[in-house]
Amino acid sequence: MATLRGAVALSKALRPFMRKHGLSTTAVLTNWNKDWKPGPFPQTAEERAAAAKRYGLRVEDYDVYDNDGMGYGDYPKLPFASGDSRDPYEDWDIPELKRNFGEPLHALADIIGEDRWDANAKPRYSYLNMFLTLGAVLGTLATIYYLTLPYPLFLPAMPKQYPLNNLHLERGGQPEDAVAVKHYTFEPVD
Amino acid sequence: MGNVMYAYITHPDTAPEFREPPTFDPLVGFANGRKERTIQASREELDKANIPLDRRDYCVDFYLKFLRCRQQNFPRVVSGCHHEKHDYDQCGYEDFVLRMKEYEREKRLMERAKRIAAKNATEELGD
Repeated sequence: MATLRGAVALSKALRPFMRKHGLSTTAVLTNWNKDWKPGPFPQTAEERAAAAKRYGLRVEDYDVYDNDGMGYGDYPKLPFASGDSRDPYEDWDIPELKRNFGEPLHALADIIGEDRWDANAKPRYSYLNMFLTLGAVLGTLATIYYLTLPYPLFLPAMPKQYPLNNLHLERGGQPEDAVAVKHYTFEPVD
Repeated sequence: MGNVMYAYITHPDTAPEFREPPTFDPLVGFANGRKERTIQASREELDKANIPLDRRDYCVDFYLKFLRCRQQNFPRVVSGCHHEKHDYDQCGYEDFVLRMKEYEREKRLMERAKRIAAKNATEELGD
């Protein structure tokens, strides 16, 4: 009962604040994902200029992805440069990300960070070279394996001997098919 | 590795097939015969003791003794049964030695058969 009375008192105390602001004008609504969604594809020069201004770019720097159904609306097409290709000695606002404040992010920024993938890497050997080298090594091993399959390594010993006619019945044989199997030691009979 | 060189490179024609039992008569060369390998336990005893099939070899008597010892010495199943364990291991070792002897015997008999065949062939040519 005390809890209910407390709840009523709290709602009474909050009522003037709720009347003034309301639940719908909280910070959530002004930072919702629809506000980060890119606008529609810019058709005219004015729309391009407005979009460039919105993303903090000069009009001549502003390029846009093709509007082929897989594009990003008016989101700018930035150079595909990963964090590794950025100058480590520049005085970045955010040195950890090598990024300046307010700088537009690439549409695929999450995969070209320094912790992910260096999109601009120049490998010492071409990817074809690497692939063929790997294939050559694995192929050689596989060839050796298949060529030596008929020649297993073995110990110089005959198969293990088992009593009771080599466990004929125990291994699922029928009693009428049993063949008497005798095994001998190397001790001669006196 | 010597046996592998022998079997695949130097003497592939007289190398025994290690996956198959011996092909020659086991009593060749034993004038009075050989002692037969036997086990004391009967099939019923093994079934009663629930011995798995891979343990039902010619060392199964030692294995049964070892199990019995473990039962009687519980919970000192290790310290109380050193001798029984050693006897069982020794039997397994001697079993493998016997298998190696069988391999060597098979190999020598194959070489002997080859020698005899070659001798007969030269005699036929000489006639």
